[in-house]
Amino acid sequence: MTADKLPLNKTGKILEIKTSPLKINLMELGFLPGKYITLHHQAPSGGPLAFQMEETLLALRKSEAELILVELI
Amino acid sequence: MAETLLSKQIKSHKVALIGNPNVGKSTIFNFLTGLSQKIGNYPGVTVDKKTGNVNLNGETFEILDLPGTYSLFPNSEDEIIAHRVLNHTKIEARPDYVLMVIDSSQLSRGLFLATQLIDLGVNLAIILNMSDLAEKRKIEIKTYELFKHLGVPILSTDARNQKGLDQLKSLISERNFSKGKALVDIKQVIPAEILEKVMAKFDLENPYQAYQMIRFGAKDVAMPEESRIWLIELIASSDFNMQEAQLEETKLRYKKITDIVSQIVVKKEEAKPKSKIDSLILHPVWGYLIFAGILLLIFQTIFTWASYPMDMIDGLFAQISGLLIENLPAGPLTSLLAEGVVPGIGGVVIFIPQIALLFGFLAILEDTGYMSRVVFLMDRWMRPFGLHGKSIVPLVSGIACAIPGVMAARNIANWKEKMITIMVTPLMSCSARLPVYIILIGLTVPDELVLGFVNLQALALLSLYLLGIIGVLLTSLLLKFYLKTKEQSFLLVELPPYRFPRWGDVGITMFEKSKTFVTEAGKVILAISIVLWVLASYGPPSRMDQIREESQARLENVSDEELIASIEAETSSLLLENSFIGIMGRAIEPVIRPLGYDWKIGIALITSFAAREVFISTMATIYSIEGDAEDELTIREKLNQQINPVTGEKTFNKATSFSLMVFYVFAMQCMSTLAVVKRETKTWKWPIIQTVYMSALAYLMAFLTFQILS
Repeated sequence: MTADKLPLNKTGKILEIKTSPLKINLMELGFLPGKYITLHHQAPSGGPLAFQMEETLLALRKSEAELILVELI
Repeated sequence: MAETLLSKQIKSHKVALIGNPNVGKSTIFNFLTGLSQKIGNYPGVTVDKKTGNVNLNGETFEILDLPGTYSLFPNSEDEIIAHRVLNHTKIEARPDYVLMVIDSSQLSRGLFLATQLIDLGVNLAIILNMSDLAEKRKIEIKTYELFKHLGVPILSTDARNQKGLDQLKSLISERNFSKGKALVDIKQVIPAEILEKVMAKFDLENPYQAYQMIRFGAKDVAMPEESRIWLIELIASSDFNMQEAQLEETKLRYKKITDIVSQIVVKKEEAKPKSKIDSLILHPVWGYLIFAGILLLIFQTIFTWASYPMDMIDGLFAQISGLLIENLPAGPLTSLLAEGVVPGIGGVVIFIPQIALLFGFLAILEDTGYMSRVVFLMDRWMRPFGLHGKSIVPLVSGIACAIPGVMAARNIANWKEKMITIMVTPLMSCSARLPVYIILIGLTVPDELVLGFVNLQALALLSLYLLGIIGVLLTSLLLKFYLKTKEQSFLLVELPPYRFPRWGDVGITMFEKSKTFVTEAGKVILAISIVLWVLASYGPPSRMDQIREESQARLENVSDEELIASIEAETSSLLLENSFIGIMGRAIEPVIRPLGYDWKIGIALITSFAAREVFISTMATIYSIEGDAEDELTIREKLNQQINPVTGEKTFNKATSFSLMVFYVFAMQCMSTLAVVKRETKTWKWPIIQTVYMSALAYLMAFLTFQILS
């Protein structure tokens, strides 16, 4: 599934970043296959999502989170 | 003697400071340079070039603060700067040394940029900052091991708590920088023969520099045309995909970094747990209420705090003008100084308290980490209007003053979203509109309660603010369809850990922003003020002389002081009426009559083009009010007595007053904002479009208001 589908407070392991012009920006921030991300906060009405990845809390729009393929653990 | 001075000048070394956002880079920059900072411009972009000097053991080091970036792949205007400075085609223009700041708790992300710098072959030293955070999170870094892997000096600091900063100074003064060992073999990504060709052509030191040149040289406007074409042709003739190459490099680099980090970092805890503060601050309901509360608090404070220094500045400049008139021989030069130049400078300086305070609050919100939370909360509600979550900062600032608001828009990476934000921010009702609103509401809206508890005047005031916000949203929507950009809008922001604000840094921000405003916008405002003064002081000589002679004749036979004062006031009113600006007022009367204004209001509209609050003082002059022109009650009473000679009704009836208020909601009427928009967009095109659009909108809405109400 994609990261935007993660249930709140659940952790996923990144499998792949889909190809798009934003792929490089995501990788730069450390979104890499093998890393674990946890959905910590959700802005209301389809707003941005905040993921905890190791020491960092990162905010992404749903459309960006859709580029991250994860496996629920 | 002369020789030693000269040799000292030559020994000024350039050190570039680079790092990811939120790593404490500006604290280190402020520590090193203090108030010796200078803000300049890079050609072609709106990013400020921040430099400052530090003297160590008799040698001067020039520190260049590069905008925060995650990599040398430029994504936004900010990041292009880092790339352009480090890869400058002229070697002597490149910095001699590079100081890279890394957040110790985010080591791998920091190393991504650090290893790119090493591959580029710069003279580097690494600062592992925020060691307190890492300690708190039980992360232990074996710095010596890291040094062995990278081959560049490494220093551990905690800049916030002043730890390790003396060692940093000696590192710089001893010029303890070195070129490390290349980590990624870029030949795995790009064919070697191409890299060699580029190296030979541009006289480059290593293949990674060639790779950077291939990747970005063709897009860099600072490159000579011939070199760009050569590069474009070279890339076209070979069969590799640049995008793919960059992704491949990223993968290889992170693989190396993961390998290094696993050997040097001892971590005792897994991923950071969910923060309790964030559960409240980012809460779908509480989060917004807290945000509204903070906004209310800031405006309350700005309105109450800034009014004292502003009144003082106002009084001070009035005094200076008075002193000049008293002590200098009467004549056009004195008059220009006392009525043109000094009030012109005063008109600039008076904004400093608001700008400084607002930027102070913004710096605190930024520094504590709260601002990126607001971006998270608001993004969803801004996007339908073509705005970005980050647009909330300029718009909120706009309620106090559009100037710092427009200046804050530069943090938005996407060109289109940034432009829309800059264009609509002046539509937020700023504090300069407040005096105009208050006088006109006082004239026409009764001070009574409706529904038992709502004050009608307060309701009218609130409606004007809401009207401004509606203007912002609808204009944004319009621009959303009008402006085009190929850039994709995205939101990828780090929500940094909450921290206490660093008061020294907040102070420096307040100082720097005020300085930038005074030097940049001040020039334009001053020039316009002088032009307005000339237009208001001079008219066709024959008419002006006649008025003066008549007034002299009347004054000769009068000894009663009150009568003298009233004759003098009448004279100045007549002089203004017949000055060039008065003639202009009469000329535009046919145009503004459908809005319910006479030529006197026309004059006030023209003079208040420089700044809205001038409306009040012009009205005071026109209606020849004796005594203190700043006393709002006096002006209100006077305006209330004005009768329209044609209709016999009050000039400031409901229709005219509301039409004027609506006009001021939408009209640009602020030279300072225009000057700042020009500065931020680097062209006159946008301020001109903005003025025309806002004036047309103001005219249309005022016309509708008047026609409906009358």
